[in-house]
Amino acid sequence: MNANHVANHKGRRLLKRVGFFPAFVLALYGIGGIVSPDKTVVALRTSANVLRTMSLPLVLVFAVMLLLNRFVRPARITGLLGRSAGWKAILMATGAGILSVGPVFAWYPLMRKLKQEGADQAPIAVFLYNRAVKLPILPVMVKYFGWAYVGILTLLTVLGSLVLGCAMRLVFRNR
Amino acid sequence: MKIAVPAQAPNLESAVSRRFGTAPYLIVADTATGAFEAVPNPGASAARGAGMQALVLALNEDVQAVLTRHCSPTVVEHLKAHDIQIVSGLTGTVGELLARYKRGELGPANVGRAGAQETMGLFAKTAWQAAMRQSCKEFGSMLPILAGVVLLVGLLRGFVPAAMLGRIFSGRVWRDTLCGACAGSLFAGNPVNSYVIGAELLKQGVSLFAVTALILAWVTVGLVQLPAEMAALGRKFAVLRNAACFVLALPLAVGTVLLLHWLSGFAP
Repeated sequence: MNANHVANHKGRRLLKRVGFFPAFVLALYGIGGIVSPDKTVVALRTSANVLRTMSLPLVLVFAVMLLLNRFVRPARITGLLGRSAGWKAILMATGAGILSVGPVFAWYPLMRKLKQEGADQAPIAVFLYNRAVKLPILPVMVKYFGWAYVGILTLLTVLGSLVLGCAMRLVFRNR
Repeated sequence: MKIAVPAQAPNLESAVSRRFGTAPYLIVADTATGAFEAVPNPGASAARGAGMQALVLALNEDVQAVLTRHCSPTVVEHLKAHDIQIVSGLTGTVGELLARYKRGELGPANVGRAGAQETMGLFAKTAWQAAMRQSCKEFGSMLPILAGVVLLVGLLRGFVPAAMLGRIFSGRVWRDTLCGACAGSLFAGNPVNSYVIGAELLKQGVSLFAVTALILAWVTVGLVQLPAEMAALGRKFAVLRNAACFVLALPLAVGTVLLLHWLSGFAP
């Protein structure tokens, strides 16, 4: 085995570990840098801003995961968020989704952990959908669209999340 | 004391299964009464997470020891974190292993949760270290793909300005509502941006149906985040959830505007 083989093998292993998706995005940046350096700089600045807004939720998610790993057994998670928990799990997910902050992808590690430890797909879908209700920025929405519109949209969003939860439960009922 | 043994068949004559996670059955035996139960393992045919499903089953059965041939390091860590004794590298029938365990040949027969309580206090260093290691591993595995999503969000906003949105609306309500949902699905980021864009589109004469679909899809559908969601929650879940949210954005937008119209006489 020569040095080239070793380098190729290491490159493939690194790509596999890091993932093809981030490598693909970096390649897009490379192309963007050649085609339009100014827009690429704007893109990098925007990414930095997104990263800043998600830093606090990421810390929160890590803390919740740490506490779950330390104190909560998978069986407890199954009991609270598993299929057998029924509407209780859906209501908990609704409340948690409304109260959660930050970009949705900051919550994916926690959702994955809950799913691996027995949480049902329906409450996870309901949680993600209810993130559409943003309590801290409701006043901003009211300023643009008025109380009545915001009230109706919020109510229908919560009801829509329940419809989604039922649909996901039906689709994944044999799992 | 309850002991779990992964088995090929639902009886004590069955050979111990090669792996804990994918065993067709878990034989749960009570050393005090000699009674046993063969519980079908939901993880037997699972493509992923079989070990965790078997672990949940063992925890639900409240077992205090697992006798197995092989068990993944992750599951071993979880079993230890829950004070469940694990003895691996074993071969033979389930009955033989249970008898050997009772005779104390496979480890101290009386080790259970009570014996391990000292390490399980609130500030027990080893338990916190194990939890920290596990959390770092779980969190770290998602970081590259999250970084990819963050960079892609930036790229999209850098190369596709929001001002372009105004050009895709034609004035036809139903087509515009669909376009609003499509545009909302593509863009990601702070929802306040969708309010600002929505208000601007309303001024340009775009219908409230379309603006509502845009606002809803902006926060519920995420094409840019799809790779991260698939990595975290599975391809089927991510694709179905996003598709369902896209479809749901349309009747919810129509319902919101019609209700508003009905309640306040507001003309959409």
